[in-house]
This record gives sequence, structure tokens and C-alpha cells, in this order.
Amino acid sequence: MDEMGKTGLVCDKRCLLHDTGDHHPESSGRLRAVYARLEGSGLAAQLVQIEAQPANQRWIEAVHNIHYIRKFEDACLYGLPDFEHPDNVICRDSYDAALLSAGGVLEAVDAVMSGQLDRVFCALRPPGHHAERDKSMGFCYFNNVAIAARYLQQRHGVEKVAIIDFDVHHGNGIQHIFEDDPTVLYCSLHEHPSFAWPGTGRDFEEGTGAGEGFTCNVPVLPGRGDKEYRVAVETRIKPKVQAFQPEFLLVAMGFDAHVDDLMADIQLTTEGFDFLSRTLVELAECCTGGRLISVLEGGYNPQTLPGLVERHLRILAGLEK
Amino acid sequence: MFVRDKMVTELVMVSPQDTILGTRRVMIEKQIRHMPVVEDGRLVGIVTDRDIRDAMPSLLFEEGIEPQVCSEIADHVIADIMTRNPITISVAHTLQDALLIMYHKKVGAFPVVDEEGHLLGIISIRDILKAFINLLNIEEPGTLLCVVVEEKPGQMKKVVDVISGENIGLGSVLVARYWDEDHRALFPYLLTCNVATVKRKLMDLGFELIEPMDMLLDQVPVNEKE
Repeated sequence: MDEMGKTGLVCDKRCLLHDTGDHHPESSGRLRAVYARLEGSGLAAQLVQIEAQPANQRWIEAVHNIHYIRKFEDACLYGLPDFEHPDNVICRDSYDAALLSAGGVLEAVDAVMSGQLDRVFCALRPPGHHAERDKSMGFCYFNNVAIAARYLQQRHGVEKVAIIDFDVHHGNGIQHIFEDDPTVLYCSLHEHPSFAWPGTGRDFEEGTGAGEGFTCNVPVLPGRGDKEYRVAVETRIKPKVQAFQPEFLLVAMGFDAHVDDLMADIQLTTEGFDFLSRTLVELAECCTGGRLISVLEGGYNPQTLPGLVERHLRILAGLEK
Repeated sequence: MFVRDKMVTELVMVSPQDTILGTRRVMIEKQIRHMPVVEDGRLVGIVTDRDIRDAMPSLLFEEGIEPQVCSEIADHVIADIMTRNPITISVAHTLQDALLIMYHKKVGAFPVVDEEGHLLGIISIRDILKAFINLLNIEEPGTLLCVVVEEKPGQMKKVVDVISGENIGLGSVLVARYWDEDHRALFPYLLTCNVATVKRKLMDLGFELIEPMDMLLDQVPVNEKE
């Protein structure tokens, strides 16, 4: 099977218009560096390129409160410097960029569900996994992965979706949105909440109500890395996903657990990330007929992020074993 | 910061002549563990779930014995098991007062009374915990730093100035006064995920930052089964 022909890539230069200034970790520069690497290495040309479209508002509303959506749009229109928290630096183009970021993932969903592709990586920004139903947080405005999960269910009739979150910060937004929902499994590996922002994602948070048992948090102590991640994946994440038997796999793929990323104190190496990427392929092959969509979340070292994204994509595309 | 602000005023009370079994049912239903005992509008005692449990037959009793024992218990009332003259607290006491009394007297809850002994409310360890969770802001997302400072005046101001200079919200600052002989440790809880610049500026000023992993690596065992 021609692996390369079945893997897609969503990029959009309009995401660079979300201008957070020169000193912000979630900068246009980090994505620009990723694009330059994917083009320069020739990898982008080997993959099926998908253009992002702005998400239809009804899909944003599947996850977010309409008043919150309007409030965010207004903040951008008024040219406010930040939204709801000084961390969330915005500009006039941020609302459109956020719609594109979410919309790009929905295009990826359509491409996979139509059978055209098996796997897609979405290299977009702003990221999404911290965004709550009615609150922005941690540089995130629309919860791209959560929106994609609901789109899969409501537009494409998929029943069970598994979401794996490898960003070093707990994806509080995704967890809370699906906390009482047994049809979406949320698994997250992240730095221990007593030491890292946002302070959620303790191992005893396992879901509520009907969703109890469908949230799986594996906190990792600061200073730990490859070994701990390997154990966590083999003993907690893989069994949980396999038991759930999802029809689709979505990945909130942050690269900030890397040893050279100073946003957090986890020391995952490049080989550690390769292991994670291979695990995703393995899980997709055994559970979802090979289908998965991986979405960029964090990863703030513009020197190392491009290489990590490239390796991740090469493994997804079957170009590396 | 006062007991008045954190006490519970919707009281569930019993009288000394109420039955033990009836009171037990109310405690289970309303999920409360301490009930003031009131007679003629005056506080005369307190009864806790532990008092009730001590008065009940053991869980290990054979089934046949229970109904007989229960009918004996049914004849007893709260006055037989309550604590008379319980420790009380006034509305003007502070939360710190309540915390210290609870710790030293090993009590879980106090009725809150006025000067004439009229019952105004009740405050329990859970109410105190909630108050301190709010004060420490630990339910707000943030990052905890550990800054070691010399034991001399003006140090905290320098640290706080760096933090405000970056326009970062401060959730709380805890102080460990005895880090070592000449130093104390400050634990500012910063309401942001973006702490790289603050850390760098503090280090440039000569402050020592304790990274959590430096504290942990030699203390928390790595999983041996790997």
C-alpha cells in the first residue's frame, strides 16, 4: 500500500496572521519555522496537501457557548491586546485564524471519512486543548480537537472517538467538555498538576456521571522523561484505548514535553517522541482501521519544533519505522 | 477572614429528647456529621456521627440480634450520648482562630454563638478548608515558583516587583521562614503558564530558584519495574 499517498497535511499561511508579538511563546514564528522545514525537506510535497477552510459556526457552537464566541469575535474587532487573560494575546486577525485552525481539522476529518486519506497532521494555530466551553485559556480560543470530535459524531455518524493528548500541559478543555460523556474517551499524559500549569488532570479524575471511566490522566513528575512515558503508554494509555474500541482516533499533539522546550520540566527526548508517534500508528491500526488525525497543540522551541513535527509526520506517513 | 463569613447558618438541630435512631436517619439523609443540640432555644450540647456510631451495634453483629438491640436503642435519646457544653466560637473570631482551636483541641466543628449563648450557625473543618483553598487560589490555573531569598529586609519586594513588571497576576505568596540558617523561601503562585521570562529575570537578579525536579530526583523512587 502506498503509505505516503494516504497521509495528508493541513497547513495554512493565514494562521500566521494571528500575531502575538515577538516575545510570546505561541508565536507565528514557531509555525513559520515548521512550514519552512516541511517544505524545505521536501516532505510536504510527498503528502496530500489539504487547504484549511474557516469552520462553519455551527460546529464551533457544538462545543462553545454562543456568547463566548461573540465575545471573542468582538474582542478581536475592537483590537483589544488580549482576551480574558494577559496570556491570551490577540490581534484583529485572531478570530479568523481561530476559525481556520478549527476548520482545518474539520477538512481533515472530511478527507479521512471520505476514504481519500488514512491519516492527517494539522499544522495550524492557535492551539485548542485548553479552551473551555465558555472560556479561553493558555493561548487557546476554540477547542479544535473537541470540535472535530463532535463533528465526527454529528456530521459523520461516528459513535466512539478516542482522544489522546501528548501535550505536556493537561488538556483541561477537552477533559471538561467530555467529562460526563461515555462516547468520547480522553487520555492525557502531562506534567504533574502540582508542579505545572494548569493544575488539573490528577490521576483520580476519571470522568463524572455517565462518563466515569472515560477520562484517563497520567501525570508525570518534573524531570522525568522517556522511561516514565513508555511505562505510562504501555500500562495505562494503550490498554484504555484498546478496551474502548474507538472508531476514530484524534490526537492533541503537543511537542512541549521535549527536553529542550522550556515551557515545562519534562525531559522527553526525540526518541521518546518517536515512540509516541509509533504508538499512535499502532493504536490506529489495531482499533480504527488505520485512521487518525493529529493536531498541533504546544511546542515552543522554534529551533527544535520543526524537526520534531517532521519526524512525527514521517512516522505517521509510514516513511520511518 | 471571620467566622461570620464562612459559617453555615441553615442549621439542622436536634433536641435532647430526640431519638438516636431518628437522628441517625437525618444525618445520613442530609449528609452532615455534627448537629447542635438545642433546648428552649439554648445550645446545650453537640452530637456527632461518631457519637451515633458508638451507640449503634457493631457491624459485625449477627443479623438475628440486631432487631432486639435496636429496640433497646430505640428507647434512648440524644441526651444520653451528646457532648454537653461543647467548645463554641463567636462570629468575631477569625478563620485562623478557628484553625488553631480545631488543631489544638482536636475538634471537627464548632457551634457559633453570640454573647448570650444563642446559636447563630456552625463552622466545620470543611468550611475552613474551603476558605483556605480560596485564599491560596490553588483552584486557579497557575505555576508555583520556589525562590530562595536571604534573611534580610526588602527581598520579597524585589521578587514581587519582577512579577508585577511582567504584568502577571499573583495568586498567593507563601513563605517558608526557615529554609536554612540564613535563608527563607518564597513560593509565589503565578496565574500564568508563561513563566520563562520571570524565572530568567529573577535569576539575573541573583535569586536562586529551586526547580521542583531538583527537589524530587533524589527523593522519589523511579519505578523499578521498567
